[in-house]
Amino acid sequence: MAVKRRIIKERVPTPERPPEERVKSFVEVNLGYTFELAVKEAERCLQCPYDYAPCIKGCPVHIDIPGFISKLVEYRDDPDRAVKEALNVIWACNSLPATTGRVCPQEDQCEMNCVMGRVGDKVNIGKLERFVADYAREKGIDEELLFEMVPRIEKKGQKVAIIGAGPAGLTAAGELAKLGYDVTIYEALHEPGGVLMYGIPEFRLPKSIVESEIDKLRKLGVKILTDHVVGKTVTMEELMKEYDAVFIASGAGTPRLVDAPGINLNGIYTANEFLTRVNLMKAYLFPEYDTPVKVGKKVIVIGAGNTAMDAARSARRFGVEVTIAYRRGPEDVSARVEEVEHAKEEGIKFVYFVNPVEFIGDGNGRIKAVKFEKMKPLDERDGRGKRKIVGTGEYVTLEADTVIIAIGKHPNRLIVNTPGLKVERGKIVVDENLMTSIPGVFAGGDAIRGEATVILAMGDGRLAAKAIHEYLTKKRESKNA
Amino acid sequence: MYKILEKREIAMRNTWYKVHAPHVARKVQPGQFVIVRAFKNGERIPLTPVMWDREEGWIVLIVFTRGKTTARMAAELREGDGILNIAGPLGNPVEMKKFGKILAIGAYTGIVEVYPIAKAWQELGNDVTTLHVTFEPMVVLKDEMERAVGRHILETVPIDMTKSFPENMKNVTKRLTEKARELLEKEEWDLVFMVGPSGDQRAVFEVVKEFGVPMKADLHPIMVDGTGMCGACRVTVGGEVKFACIDGPEFDAYKVDWDVLISRSGYYTDMEMMAMQEYMKALQGGGQ
Repeated sequence: MAVKRRIIKERVPTPERPPEERVKSFVEVNLGYTFELAVKEAERCLQCPYDYAPCIKGCPVHIDIPGFISKLVEYRDDPDRAVKEALNVIWACNSLPATTGRVCPQEDQCEMNCVMGRVGDKVNIGKLERFVADYAREKGIDEELLFEMVPRIEKKGQKVAIIGAGPAGLTAAGELAKLGYDVTIYEALHEPGGVLMYGIPEFRLPKSIVESEIDKLRKLGVKILTDHVVGKTVTMEELMKEYDAVFIASGAGTPRLVDAPGINLNGIYTANEFLTRVNLMKAYLFPEYDTPVKVGKKVIVIGAGNTAMDAARSARRFGVEVTIAYRRGPEDVSARVEEVEHAKEEGIKFVYFVNPVEFIGDGNGRIKAVKFEKMKPLDERDGRGKRKIVGTGEYVTLEADTVIIAIGKHPNRLIVNTPGLKVERGKIVVDENLMTSIPGVFAGGDAIRGEATVILAMGDGRLAAKAIHEYLTKKRESKNA
Repeated sequence: MYKILEKREIAMRNTWYKVHAPHVARKVQPGQFVIVRAFKNGERIPLTPVMWDREEGWIVLIVFTRGKTTARMAAELREGDGILNIAGPLGNPVEMKKFGKILAIGAYTGIVEVYPIAKAWQELGNDVTTLHVTFEPMVVLKDEMERAVGRHILETVPIDMTKSFPENMKNVTKRLTEKARELLEKEEWDLVFMVGPSGDQRAVFEVVKEFGVPMKADLHPIMVDGTGMCGACRVTVGGEVKFACIDGPEFDAYKVDWDVLISRSGYYTDMEMMAMQEYMKALQGGGQ
């Protein structure tokens, strides 16, 4: 007999710290669900069948979303069991759920096509994923699962090198380790995590969470060599010789600068430098931490992607006035909706249709103001679906003593210079299996995309792991034959 | 963790660290640097391997005590301890070819960066003269330099305790430019190379320019990651924005925009002084 379910249209909200409190610190903004709230939200899921579920199709790593959500409801009387079962389902596709639950643009992916959206609010999939990961970590349930999983892994006897311990590299490492490969990650910075450590601020993704996710990978047998810069400390040629396969997940390394006079004035940061100082080096705790950062009284952030929001919100936490200046209009802002809302709640101003043309100094080498050309939108759209814009010949000058440039990045030059590696416009060229022009060398994440999201990079990591597994299986079989 | 095999103060404010870092020792070439993070809350600072042994896997770093991090290294690290992180080697090796007669200049601890480069150039058949100008109590690598190159000229300036440190530094700059002028007037050179504070590099460059001798300068802008990711170390060279960490650190002195370099290098001086003073106070007060 079918059970008739009552449809709850409204989403169960997750508690958030109020804006006036959170702009004073780097403590996480969103507080997440409790088990009771999570179950309430989980009950709203209509449990679309696996091969239909549009949420799974929208997820770049294809997590069995109805599958994990149903466990929370099914074992509601035993929270630990419920979380363990749910985590087991998530882990089949995603080794970093505490991260993705926080930083994925769910509204454009899993939640975009949620059937509940036709009658009410879409199911809050991201926060449910985050809840499972957080609860499991706090209760040691993830450790328990790993403890059961590790002895069952059958060693393949083949070695894979991964370049870069960011989301793409870590994901591939987790998948390959679960398949029994001997995985070593080469990381240039002193801590693994890539953009999760240097780029995404503490208030959005606490570093202790990233560390704990990476710790799990180590328990799966993944080796991580920090301070190793591929192209310098070890060459691609050496890696190709020593390992059976290589995965390049080096990210988009080099920041793009505005080609305008005065770009090298003091007080002009790239978003990468600003965020690295603040997040990775904890400059907001200076002088307890030795790395300084200077945030003036008026900050202008140029760009409107997630990186721009992160930089703006980080700057705001120094108690200063922050303006986001974007050359297009509000409808083309590429940052996640939640981040834009949070930024606005925190008092960050947005100025649209302005394009920087000159950085004006104070005569002592420091930035004083930015001259912008006013832009106007056209009816035509460009290849990315954004409205084309043109200059109006009118200018506006805004005062600023700190400017943060967040307009994107170019791939890291150290790796794209490898002989035989096909590169187009700075991005590594790959086939549908993410294999590069060099057999056995795969690439993914920002190294092939320029700039994307954490989850797209993770999707690449998963796809690459699958392709590497197939490639190495063939290699093994032909050797044995 | 990279183990400190040997540590000693070799001159005032100059500390010698022999460190186990096989991944760097295996690959490092003259002209390259490493990024060191000594403590959990320390900065990432660029330093130059002065000597290395590829088989035994060690490198030598000579660190000038300048700010809080370097002061902490001198005060707190002991033999047998570890340095948390040493990333590298980074940057490009210097061009290894026969230039002819080279004048390689080091101001203060800049000479430790000159050492591996000058040595390698000499071994390649160049006629290398090195000039080291520093304060009297801060002389380093004198014997090593004399063994490594054709001629090593050491010029020292006494520290005048009645004057401020910046005043004293002016005397070094003066002696540096005078000596460089003397050498350029008396002899014919094919190349001048220099490492030292940006202001001194520019002062020497102004002299070298008069003689039209090619000059390379090893630049030291502020750096954070050292791999081209952050853009902190950008310098204007030949009208283009370059990153010292991946395009350098060595550039044609004639093309460098010295104003931009010097201005950018001093951006954090006030904060660094503050951190240093707080640290020294805590050190003297025994932490209270």
